[in-house]
Amino acid sequence: MRHLRFRRAAAILLAGTGLAALSPVLQPVLAPAGLAPVRAAAAQGADATSFVRSLGDRLVSVVNSDSSTAEKKTQIQPLIDQNVDVDGIGRFCLGRFWRTATPAQQQRYLALFHKVLVNSITGKLGEYRGVTFQVGQAHDQDGKTMVPTVINRPNQPSATVEWVVGDVAGGRRITDVVAEGVSLSLTQRSDYASFLQRHGNNVDTLLNALDRQVSRQAT
Amino acid sequence: MPAENHRPFQCPVVRGRFGVRGGLARAGALVAAGLVSLGLGGCATKAADPAAQADMDDANDPLEPTNRFFYRVSDSIDAYTLRPVAKGYVWLVPQPVRTGVHNVLGNLASPAVFFNDVFEGKPRRAGDTFVRFVVNSTVGVAGVFDVAKGWGYKAHEADGGMTLAQWGVPQGPYLFLPLLGPSSPRALTGFGMDIALVPLNYVPRGYGLITLNWGLYGMNIIDSRAQVLGDLDQIKRDSLDPYATLRSLYRQHRAAEIEAMRNDHRATVPDWYSR
Repeated sequence: MRHLRFRRAAAILLAGTGLAALSPVLQPVLAPAGLAPVRAAAAQGADATSFVRSLGDRLVSVVNSDSSTAEKKTQIQPLIDQNVDVDGIGRFCLGRFWRTATPAQQQRYLALFHKVLVNSITGKLGEYRGVTFQVGQAHDQDGKTMVPTVINRPNQPSATVEWVVGDVAGGRRITDVVAEGVSLSLTQRSDYASFLQRHGNNVDTLLNALDRQVSRQAT
Repeated sequence: MPAENHRPFQCPVVRGRFGVRGGLARAGALVAAGLVSLGLGGCATKAADPAAQADMDDANDPLEPTNRFFYRVSDSIDAYTLRPVAKGYVWLVPQPVRTGVHNVLGNLASPAVFFNDVFEGKPRRAGDTFVRFVVNSTVGVAGVFDVAKGWGYKAHEADGGMTLAQWGVPQGPYLFLPLLGPSSPRALTGFGMDIALVPLNYVPRGYGLITLNWGLYGMNIIDSRAQVLGDLDQIKRDSLDPYATLRSLYRQHRAAEIEAMRNDHRATVPDWYSR
């Protein structure tokens, strides 16, 4: 405890004497060993940024086209399947029930989850025309690569959306979307957890509910 | 978020003491449920399965039955009152006017934001709010146009709940309150503090002021409802349990706002000095 207090006091003292101003000068000298990984991470970040930009361009071009919502959905589906780790997100969202589900249930669940995700994305963007977006600098947070974007929809306040990019089975994939600080997968997970808790932890009930939801949105 | 890192609010055991069955006890229970907020009334039962318990700790919603009751009531009232009014407002009033109204209301709220910025110990944020208030009240014609945003002074969130968070007050269990919606003991206390920070509340009372204040309350409610019109409709359409989804959204958004405030380490020294 005393030790900690001393270190804090020392830090304050250092800052006070202006020694802290030297730290940009000292840093490269002090940490040459750490340089290589930093550079690798930067390259990875640039890679993630261009990945998000190219995916975003394709998504926006579909959204801004004159197609009907149903057509947009069929065009967006392959984009999502190829670039988003839907299976991984799906497994996460089912939480502890993934382990207890039978293989048949798991399969049915993932098939439904693909549709749920596409519906939710087209539902958020589909009705707008003239959507634009800007991609910012990628940064690492808790070991994940986050790519921030700002999405502008006409007549709506602009939204800050962060894309979590990860390596899944050797390929680059989106593993989560964080909109205005809200994680899509966490929200979905708590929705399913609460539904299951209120329906006797029965996975089949959840699957039927998802089925109804998907068919309702298809119309 | 790992469940073991935070100690969820413990539901007081009241079953033994209030276990008397009978009309009076039941009426008492109803009243208790009505007054709840910090109630001893509807506590969620404990789960037998440790994994299920971990889920419940994550949700940190020991008053869930009562909260759900208020959610249902608010939702049905909303469907017949606020939602139609907000829809009518969006349909009737063109977008630029609505934005102007939103800006005026935001500008009137900025003194409270300013004080909270100060209480949070964030001088640069307080400076932003101060410049916003001055610029938008003058150049922005009484707050109609958000000129300051274009000048690099963007709006940010600050309220009593965030101030308390910065002071280390824990959030506490989830609350869904009638009229106010998703909240927590900390946010509710902060809300009370914010009322004391609105300068208009200190102007000597008069008929004109009362009318103005009620007008502003009304406009604030309609404006806030209109802001989330599409989003709320989508949540109710896309989620299996809208109550739980809203709870998760509220918590995450709140945590992100507080995190953004905490990470705002801009120095107060002038640019020419730090350069």
